[in-house]
Amino acid sequence: MYAKLYKHRWQYLMILPGVVLLFLFSYVPMAGIVVAFRDFRIGTSIWDSPWVGFDNFSFLREPQFWTVVENTLYISVLKFIFGFPAPILLALLINEVAHSKFKRFVQSVSYLPHFFSWIVVAYMLQSFLTLDGGMVNQLIAKAGGEPIFFLGSTEWFRPIVVGSGLWKETGWNTILYLAAITTIDPQLYEAAKVEGAGKLAQIRHITLPGIMPTISIVLILSIPSLITVGMDQIYPLMNSANMQVSDVLDTYVLRSGLQQGYFGMSTAVGLLSSVIGLVLVLTTNQLSRKLNGEGLW
Amino acid sequence: MKRTRMEKIAYPVVIAVLSLLCLSVIYPFLYMLAISLNEGADAAKGGVYIWPRSFTTINYEIVLGNEVIRHSYLITIGRTVLGTIGGLFVTLLAAYGLSYKKLPLRGTILGYILITMLFNGGLIPFYIQLNDLGLLNTFWVYIFPGLFSAWNMFVMLKFIQGIPEALIEAAELDGAGPVRALLQIVIPLSKPMLAALGLFTAVGHWNDWFAGSFFVTDQSLIPVQTFLQQLLSASDLSAVLGSNTNQEALARSSEMANITLMSIKMAVVMVSSIPILCIYPFLQKYFVKGVLIGSVKG
Repeated sequence: MYAKLYKHRWQYLMILPGVVLLFLFSYVPMAGIVVAFRDFRIGTSIWDSPWVGFDNFSFLREPQFWTVVENTLYISVLKFIFGFPAPILLALLINEVAHSKFKRFVQSVSYLPHFFSWIVVAYMLQSFLTLDGGMVNQLIAKAGGEPIFFLGSTEWFRPIVVGSGLWKETGWNTILYLAAITTIDPQLYEAAKVEGAGKLAQIRHITLPGIMPTISIVLILSIPSLITVGMDQIYPLMNSANMQVSDVLDTYVLRSGLQQGYFGMSTAVGLLSSVIGLVLVLTTNQLSRKLNGEGLW
Repeated sequence: MKRTRMEKIAYPVVIAVLSLLCLSVIYPFLYMLAISLNEGADAAKGGVYIWPRSFTTINYEIVLGNEVIRHSYLITIGRTVLGTIGGLFVTLLAAYGLSYKKLPLRGTILGYILITMLFNGGLIPFYIQLNDLGLLNTFWVYIFPGLFSAWNMFVMLKFIQGIPEALIEAAELDGAGPVRALLQIVIPLSKPMLAALGLFTAVGHWNDWFAGSFFVTDQSLIPVQTFLQQLLSASDLSAVLGSNTNQEALARSSEMANITLMSIKMAVVMVSSIPILCIYPFLQKYFVKGVLIGSVKG
């Protein structure tokens, strides 16, 4: 056994840095979850702080917490309803373009927003929507309307999140579908044309069935993300005026933990969402095994 | 090929819709560029849509004269270069080591890595650990936690296992150890995959504002995106006008009062975006491949 291990000493040496890094930055924090059951203050050691049982879970009785859960689910479901079909639709449209240069141009341009941060997107939204000098409000004023406080409104927050999410990621998410479309046998289309099938019939009976495996994989993979609404996107758009609808689980943890110092309570919230996340992933894996005959890993 | 009348009408509609979508992507950048090149007070009156009406470079002079911004740029470049090269290196080493199917404990190690993708301790225990390791408020908080990526490891592993084993075995019969086989066979054959993963890692570093905003308090350590995040909710220009070395531009801007919060903001955001816009066309051939490598189930 030792001889076998020694024979592979180079391989182990190569794997070691990764294993150590995961230990430090993934496994130790997993053990740190005990903070959820202790009364921890920064400056002391996690292991010395007194046990408090489930005291840190008292947030479950606060209506504020349930508002946050509702906000999270509301936004993630909305983002899914619009964000899931949009790239399929766009890929079908792009696929219909006969002029190959224009097709490539559309692809390049639509991938571009993926490479910018949500902070840049927030600036963009500000430049269009702000009350003092935002372009949309200027145009509204010109048309004789009342300016709208888009960025500080509870009604506009969700449409803005969904819209900017579509703007940023729809193009990027077409890549998988476009690749799947290129694997469809062209003879199928030829045969359909001979039969006199129109474009719509070809999409319905050839293209869509051809990319159905990809669609189902993407659908399955998007299930675990249902309880994490990208904090990256939400945080820059959040302010005291729209807090009632914009506060989600991630921002709640961030605020109560890092900004207000309730370490135990925010770890408990984090633990709860990690566990739900794990359950969703495992369920998804089972589902995938049943539908596709193989799991995710 | 015959087309029905419906299709003859539909095709131009498809082209028009796609053109509009492209416009919706490009226009915001043009608009922000125009505002950033326009005198602030004048732009605030409205009517600047594509082209600056009262052209000036004062916004950029002020922005580039600010020491915090200039320094944040260096931090961003430093962490992007170091984080990308270091990250690829550490992750590739692990993937290559694990590509030996007969390695004892291989399954255990793979499981150890997989678990970290399924479950994590959450933000607060992670923060406490950064604090315990003394990484808070240092440059290294940008580098070490992200150095090994489980996801990239599995993509690399998948890719390396696609390299014919005969090639590696032949090299080893010639007396090459695993290190030489890595350098002479695996790395040259993995270039497109490394380029794609490197690109994604680099973009991640370039765009990350979170670590700079919450794990660092020292203003001389923040990256550009964190500066942007702080300025986003600023109510005045003190962050940009303070510690500014361009006295001449400062004097000019205050005399004519021709900069506004909005015009300066647009200049800062353009300064952070222009590098990406410039290199984007050259990177395209890599990232499409990268997405497809990554999407093959690992």
